Amino acid sequence: MVSDILLPGQSVSLARGPAPKLGGGLYLKDGQVRASLVGVAQYEGSTLAISHVRSHPPAANSVVLGTVTRLSPLQAMVSISVVDGIPLPAGEEFNGVIRTQDVRATEKDKVKIGDCFRGGDVVKGVVISLGDARSYYITTARNDLGVIFATSEAGASMDAVSWQEMRCPKTGRIEKRKCAKPESHTL
Amino acid sequence: MAQSANDRRRINGPEESFTPVFDDEDEDIKLKMQRSRAPGDIRPIFLQPGLISQANGSAYIETEKTKIACAVYGPRQSKTTTYSEKGRLNVEVKFTPFSCTRRRAPMRDAEDRSIGVSIHQAIVSSIRLELFPKSTIDVFITIIENDGIEGCIASGSLAASTALADAGIEMLGLVASCSAAIVGDVIQLDPSEAEARASSGTVILACMPALNSITSLWQSGQMTTSMSLKCMEQCHERCIDIHSIVAQSLLEHRRTD
Repeated sequence: MVSDILLPGQSVSLARGPAPKLGGGLYLKDGQVRASLVGVAQYEGSTLAISHVRSHPPAANSVVLGTVTRLSPLQAMVSISVVDGIPLPAGEEFNGVIRTQDVRATEKDKVKIGDCFRGGDVVKGVVISLGDARSYYITTARNDLGVIFATSEAGASMDAVSWQEMRCPKTGRIEKRKCAKPESHTL
Repeated sequence: MAQSANDRRRINGPEESFTPVFDDEDEDIKLKMQRSRAPGDIRPIFLQPGLISQANGSAYIETEKTKIACAVYGPRQSKTTTYSEKGRLNVEVKFTPFSCTRRRAPMRDAEDRSIGVSIHQAIVSSIRLELFPKSTIDVFITIIENDGIEGCIASGSLAASTALADAGIEMLGLVASCSAAIVGDVIQLDPSEAEARASSGTVILACMPALNSITSLWQSGQMTTSMSLKCMEQCHERCIDIHSIVAQSLLEHRRTD
């Protein structure tokens, strides 16, 4: 187990015989495990990896946070600003799209986009695939995915009441959104 | 009556004229005779990563009279609409107006692009582009002081590789680059501008010493095959030393972070 900082191209000296499963930041070439990032190789469970503290583009199954920029009857366009908990530099957002069939798990054909998202909502989603040239495909079809922050028509930030409704604290009005289940933080 | 050389109606030039004396010739001859370092010595390299805070990664390299700053942005979304399975690498080189002995206009011309192409070729095979589909990595190289195109390309490739490692972009290995010029029968490594002009041919080699593979080789001018092979060998040996300099600067930067 090395505790030294590895450089790209440097071979990793492994103690045991069989090669461990390789995570990010390492690659296997000609039977030799080498580093591809500057960092320390650590075991996370059974995989050996070099941790990625820098922002990286979304990949399949990345958890992303984004802002809804446009709505159309078939999809909601999202500007992705946080990937896997690491914020992207300002101005370097990626484009993502939530199609109506990916908004929720039940009654996929009866989705009205206006009742799920509105412009300016901050949405938590998971990337399904690389999508097309311009945007990544994102899904919110899980209990913990969906709108996490939205502003009401009156201008106040709303609280989620159920998975389909949010309430404005100023006027008391209920607005429809596809909300994410609030995470229980242990303080 | 003899026509007077002195024409009162016009402004007359001097009666005696002399051909202009050019300084360059004297300098070249002098340099052919003496070079302050041994033919196999390269100029000392100062390499510092992480100086440009707003970029994802950056590096500044200085070798005597060649000073280059490199900034790396990305991977960010490709602006083009074509879908690409692999990421793209975009290298842009810019000379500052005060970098050369003659002032350069700030607009980009053919020389910038050719240096950009050389550096692109040197580093593109070291980056794991298959990990960044639909993304672009932008490398911006600013040449602050220029002492020979070969030196710019070699130092630019070093700076770009260090900046990419500093940016946390996955690479197969670090790229080291060295140039050589042939003056008569002697192979001089790391030629300055005057030395390169006085030479008959130059070779620029970029390689990844960790993997023992060569990423790019440019040869220009006139030389025999055996001479160019000898140049390549000497450059390759020197690249191994340069690689340790790059490694050391990255480790020091990481330790002080």
